[in-house]
Amino acid sequence: MGLLDRIGVRSPWILHFDTGSCNGCDLEVWALLTPRYDVERFGGVNRANPKQADILLITGPVTKKCEDRLRNLYEQVPEPKLVMACGNCASTGAPFHNCYNVCQGVDKVIPVDVYVPGCAARPEALIDGLIKALSMWEEKARAAREVKG
Amino acid sequence: MVLLAIAIFIIGPLLVGLSMGLDRRITARLQNRRGPPLLQPFYDIAKLFSKRPLVLGDLQGMFAVFCLAFQAAAFGLFALGGDLVVAFFISSMGAVFLVLGAYSTPSPYSHLGANRELLALLAYEPVLFLVIIAVGVNGSFLAGEVSRDLLGRIPLALLALVPVLVILLEKSPYDIPAAHQELATGPYVEYSGPYLAVLELGRWYQLAFVYGIATLFVWGDSAITDVAFKLILPFALLFAAIVIDNITARLTRRRMVSFMLTAGVGLIAVNLVVSYLTGVI
Ligand code: SF4
Repeated sequence: MGLLDRIGVRSPWILHFDTGSCNGCDLEVWALLTPRYDVERFGGVNRANPKQADILLITGPVTKKCEDRLRNLYEQVPEPKLVMACGNCASTGAPFHNCYNVCQGVDKVIPVDVYVPGCAARPEALIDGLIKALSMWEEKARAAREVKG
Repeated sequence: MVLLAIAIFIIGPLLVGLSMGLDRRITARLQNRRGPPLLQPFYDIAKLFSKRPLVLGDLQGMFAVFCLAFQAAAFGLFALGGDLVVAFFISSMGAVFLVLGAYSTPSPYSHLGANRELLALLAYEPVLFLVIIAVGVNGSFLAGEVSRDLLGRIPLALLALVPVLVILLEKSPYDIPAAHQELATGPYVEYSGPYLAVLELGRWYQLAFVYGIATLFVWGDSAITDVAFKLILPFALLFAAIVIDNITARLTRRRMVSFMLTAGVGLIAVNLVVSYLTGVI
């Protein structure tokens, strides 16, 4: 299993979900998937399907309407899984601090592994975050197996 | 002989996996990207096997396993030099299990994908079947004993394999069932983890079978040239499919079926009629 986990790092399938961002961070996430930043170099592809995803790229401050949907998506992703909060909104909800209609960040709803700051988060920072998140993959995979066993 | 068959049975799908990696790289280069490593499809399969299994009911997982078993049996029969028609029917059965697996879940995306997969079957199966018939009437239906002059006798049948491959590889203009933009991979949408990997392996075996039929068209004089020709031809077909993928947009499902049932079937029919009239068969 250890070998499979080590190989698994090389194939992070992505699910991108916008929880009510201004679209600034979404554009930057999309820049990862297009030729300029080509995240497929690291094996990453956008599956647009939670059941086949390994890493969730979440943007936006999580509006109250989106809360359940985000939780639902997270629960559909089979273990092991990683969550990346992309941008200031997703990390802390900062630009929308104290707004009545937002949850103030992704980690108020689901556990987050990596926070990428920036308004908007730059694609270079997002790639850094992705690599950082993937460095936790083996540990996550082991933990997931222990829970099951 | 049996050892050779076992070697082909194992190496065939591995080569298909490698060709998938090459496909992703070439596509990336055509789009001015660097693309993933050549072994990426193998990484993906290994990763999928390490994920926690998740199925919606017993049937879904069972159909995936059956799909792999039937496709592997079809390719195994081919590797042993067995009857091409029987191998074809076993392989079709495997494709039907993919559809059944997609129908066994309550998801509308999955059902739409299954409907379209059935249409794709309707489009490519008759052409593939006719290719096998054309191979058979020119010598033998046994994969181990086919005529060595197929390229000279039925060149149009080889040409007809190109659109078949375009459909099987899920490439434009006929990536109807998977339809990444609107159906999010169609029949595969409700599969995840190890079961998705099993289905993918099934697809590798199915492609290995179709590439295998293509390799029957070329023969070399010595063992080395023989193997070289048999390797180059499938990669040439794949390259044609990649180019077609990158220069066309998706057509409607009706156009797919009507093209295959007219142009695809027509090509082989013309070839066979000409062969018959000139007294070759
Ligand atoms: S962090 Fe800034 S750019 Fe990103 S979604 Fe929030 S407001 Fe928009």
